[in-house]
This record gives sequence, C-alpha cells and structure tokens, in this order.
Amino acid sequence: MRNVTGEQHGPGPVITTAGLTKHYGAVHALTDLTVEVGAGVTGLVGANGAGKSTLIKILLGLLEPTGGHASVLGHDIEHGGQEIRRLVGYMPEHDCLPPDVSASDFTVHMARMSGLGASAARERSADVLRHVGLDEERYRPMGGYSTGMKQRAKLAQALAHDPQLVFLDEPTNGLDPAARNDMLRLVERIGSEFGIAVLVTSHLLGELEQVSDHVIVLDGGHLLRSSATGDFLQRTGSLLVEVVGTETERDRLGEALALRGLTCRPRGPMVAIDPPPPELAAEGVAHDLIRDVAAELGLGLMRLQPDRRHLEDVFLDGGAHV
Amino acid sequence: MSEHSQPGSRPGVIHDLGYRHYDGVRDGTATIARTLFVTGLRHAYGLGRSGKSKVMPFLLLGMSVMPALIVVGVVVLTGGSSLPVSYADYTNQTQLLVSLFAAAQAPVLFSRDLRHRSIVLYFARPLAAPVFALVRWLSLTVAVWLFMSVPTLLLYLGALLSGLDKSDQTSALLKAVVLQVLLAMLIAGIAGLISSVSLRRGFAVVGSVMALIVLTGVITAVQAISAEEDADAVATAVGLFSPWSLYNGLADAWDAGVETFVPVDGAWPLAYALVALLLVAGCLLGLVARFRKVGSR
Repeated sequence: MRNVTGEQHGPGPVITTAGLTKHYGAVHALTDLTVEVGAGVTGLVGANGAGKSTLIKILLGLLEPTGGHASVLGHDIEHGGQEIRRLVGYMPEHDCLPPDVSASDFTVHMARMSGLGASAARERSADVLRHVGLDEERYRPMGGYSTGMKQRAKLAQALAHDPQLVFLDEPTNGLDPAARNDMLRLVERIGSEFGIAVLVTSHLLGELEQVSDHVIVLDGGHLLRSSATGDFLQRTGSLLVEVVGTETERDRLGEALALRGLTCRPRGPMVAIDPPPPELAAEGVAHDLIRDVAAELGLGLMRLQPDRRHLEDVFLDGGAHV
Repeated sequence: MSEHSQPGSRPGVIHDLGYRHYDGVRDGTATIARTLFVTGLRHAYGLGRSGKSKVMPFLLLGMSVMPALIVVGVVVLTGGSSLPVSYADYTNQTQLLVSLFAAAQAPVLFSRDLRHRSIVLYFARPLAAPVFALVRWLSLTVAVWLFMSVPTLLLYLGALLSGLDKSDQTSALLKAVVLQVLLAMLIAGIAGLISSVSLRRGFAVVGSVMALIVLTGVITAVQAISAEEDADAVATAVGLFSPWSLYNGLADAWDAGVETFVPVDGAWPLAYALVALLLVAGCLLGLVARFRKVGSR
C-alpha cells in the first residue's frame, strides 16, 4: 500500500478543489472555492462559521457539495469517498471520546476500523500514543482526562492507521498556553518528521504563523487568500524607528524625516516609515539618513528595523477589501 | 522502508528514528465490517468492557438458563416421556428476560457512539453509515438470539440425555430456532431504533421496555378478553402488533409447541409472517436513515 502512498510526497498537490460550493438553503457555507494543498503543514484560517469544518467534511466525503469538484490524494470525492477515508485521518473539533474506554483500547479499535489487523493495530497504537505524549494515563478511562489529554487521544486515533493526510480541526482548542505550544510542535512534527500532509484549522492566526508552510484564509465561505506563509510575512520595505524619550521626541524625529522626503506616521512609541521614494531607495541610504537626522536632533536611536507584517494584518486587509 | 525508494523526498528523514510508517496489509471493507460485528457482539455481553457492564447481561442470562437446568434435571432423574415445556414455549415463558436483555443492551450498541459523538470517527473511516447501522443491528440480533438459544440448547441436550426420540426433538428444536431468529431480528430492530433516537440510556431502556414488555402485556390482555368474548378475529388481528404475539402466533400456526388463545389459522399465518418481515424491514430502513442523517452532520 505504501508504494502507492509514496507518490503523494512528490510534487503533486494533496488536495485540489475547483469551484467547490456548499449551500444549506439560504446559508452559503462555501462559495466557489478553488485551492490546492500540497505536502507539509497547511493552515486553514477563518472565523467561526467561515466554512472550515464544512470544507473538511466535504473532503472526507461525508457531505455532498452543492457544486464544484474536489480530489484528495488523487481520488475524486464523488466516487472515491471510501478510498479517501482509508488514507486520511480526522481529528474533529468537538469532543468525540467515549468516557468509559481507555485511550489505548480506543486507539486500537479505531485503527482496526481503518483496516489494520489486530496485532498491527496494537503495535501502531502504542507507537502513536507515545508520539502524542500519553504515557501511563493511556490505560485509564478517558472520562477522567484533562482537555490536553483528550486532544492528544483524539490526535492519536487520527494517526493510528498511518494516514497520508490528516485533517486537524482546531487541535489547540481549549488548551492552556503550554499545552498549546506542545500541540503546535506536534503538528509541525507530523508535517515534517512523520511525513504526513496536514490540513490544520484555527481561528487564531498567530498559531498558524508558527507551524504552517502554507496558509489558506477563508472568510464567510469565500477564499480570501492562499499562499506560502513566507509570502504573508514578506518584508514590506517599510522601516520602524524608535528613539529614546517620549512622544515629543518621536514626533520631532518624524517631522524632521518628513522634511527630508520620507512618509512617516506614528505607530505606538515608534515611527513607521513607508517604503522610501526612488531617490532614497538604494540599499542603506534611508538607514543612513535616519541615523544622520537623529544625530542632528540629538536623539538616541533605540531601534531601526524592517517592518514585517503579521498574518493578522493580511487577514484584516483582505477582509476590508472583500 | 519506503524512504529508500524516494531519497530526499521526505523532509527530516535522516533524523527520523521515531516515527515508523505502516507498510503492511490493510483489510477491505468486509473484514472491517466483520471486526465491528464481533466487537459489537462482545460488547452486548459486556466482554471487552468494564467489569460492571458484564453484570447485567450475565445475570439475565443466568436467570433464563436456571429454569432450563431444573427442567433438565427433573426430566433426566424421573425419566419422563417428554419435556414439560416445548423449546419455542420456553422462550415465550422467559420473554420478560429476553426483552429486558435487549432493552438494556441496545443502548450499548446504538446510543453510545451517538451520544459521545465517536460516531464521527467511524464515519471518517471506510465503513459507510448504512453499513455501520446494519452491522450494529446484526450484532444485537445475534446477541439476542444467543440469549434465547443457550437455554434452548440445554433443554435439547437434556432431552437427548434422558433418551427422548431424537428426530422429534430435533425437528421441534429447528422450528424453535427459526422462530427465534425471526424474533431476535424483530426485537433487535425495535430496541435498536429506539436507542438510536433517544440517546440517554435511561430513556432508551424505558422506551424499549414500553415497546417490548408493556405493549406485549396490553396485547395479551386484549387477546385474552376477546377470546373470552368469542371475538376470535379481534384476538388474532391484535396479535399483529407486538413481536411476541407475532412469535407466538407463528409458533402456534407452525405447531411448534405454543398455544395461543385463539388458533392462528387460515390466511393469518401468512399475514403474521408478512407483518413480521415488514416490521424488520421498517426498523432497518429507520436505522439506516437515522445513521445517514447523523453521518452528514
């Protein structure tokens, strides 16, 4: 079976959708979505109700789209639903663990439901539970688990049958900051070290910034943007400057720089400088100018750095435009 | 490992001493369904579950086997010429225990996955929702049938031990088994459907008890009264409305050792058989529709 799976790590996309649409009566959960998802970790971002879970259910073949096409791991969702479900893992957003069963027994059972034999299922479950970090507690009934342990158990069942692709729906939901970091590191490892493609959803953009190679932003069922995480965070050419002192010093610097032909605006305790005009655009010219102006004014430079954008900014910009 | 055939295609492969991929055989849908069936059957008797979940099924089973043991003891010791109770009638006499078993164990197979929403994890795997529903029903059917057949087989062994005529006993046993299978299909369908709709265990048990025990009691009373009043058609027609009266009516018509208040004859046996099969089919359609709906949520 793995020889088939090897292809998935080639250059081809893991998921492709074309004009995917899902309407529930008047509610438009997804509208004309066309995206490609490759290997590695792909973040699916959007507010609640943006269509993230709907997209995952359609890709699993559990919901029928109103229109459009999609294929997962080379199988069409219309006809290949069963084949797809054989090759993917799914960690739902909501609670889905029976309280009176141990994580160990449950993971074994779920691995068998994916087609693994009894001994293979036991071996894989033990492996996967170790990877997600459930130790002795795996033998206790899951009803007594903390949220963090439940999320790990949910992740373990999604990985138990060694899928080629996992859908992780809000894996960090309800976790404290430390557990959240652990979970994100685990998601990153699944994509890189385990070699399993990951589609992970979150409404917290900062999280996906840390772990994903590629980000898809959904808003109200529409695609806002789909590109590599690096592109989102590209340098904008803007600069940020901070000087010793209060807002008075900040404004003195800003006004002086404006006189020299730079467009400045205050941002918190700093001056944000838009990409310099052509005559100052050469490498280092703007930096030198800022240094000189600060020296003339007798201001102490504290910080001079390129202004990197955050995923949030992209999201907010996009939202404003649509 | 497959990494060797794809050098450099998996990032981090060189350091990957931890995660191992699975290269072995993966079962087809039929094997997965069989695994689910066996697990369901075991769970119906509390096997593979917590200790206290074994108490109820085995207590009930013990209670339904006990009279059979006593009967066997008496027949073997006294050397009677026939069993004091027929195979089919023994099941009828222990109907309260059979119904209780089905009512108590159906939620294990039909409510748990829905209530805790682990059903979503099943449906994200190869088995489709209708297959899942049918396999669950099959598990409960076989569990209920085993519950009825264990005392029946004990009686049969006792009859053979005490030297009763083998061919007579065997044909009576086979008739009883066929009727029991039909009854198990009915009871599992009804209790399963009720449990898949009412997700709280208490409500599911009460619902099944109402449908299997209270309703049967009412129908038996109506049948007794109408037989007393010589309203034979009413007595027979009312028997169409409960799995137990269907079972008894068919057993009476087939001469399997159960006597109803009014003999079921003429076209009635056909009507009884048709209604029983339609009821099974209806329950199955209901179960499939219910799990389909849950699956698309």
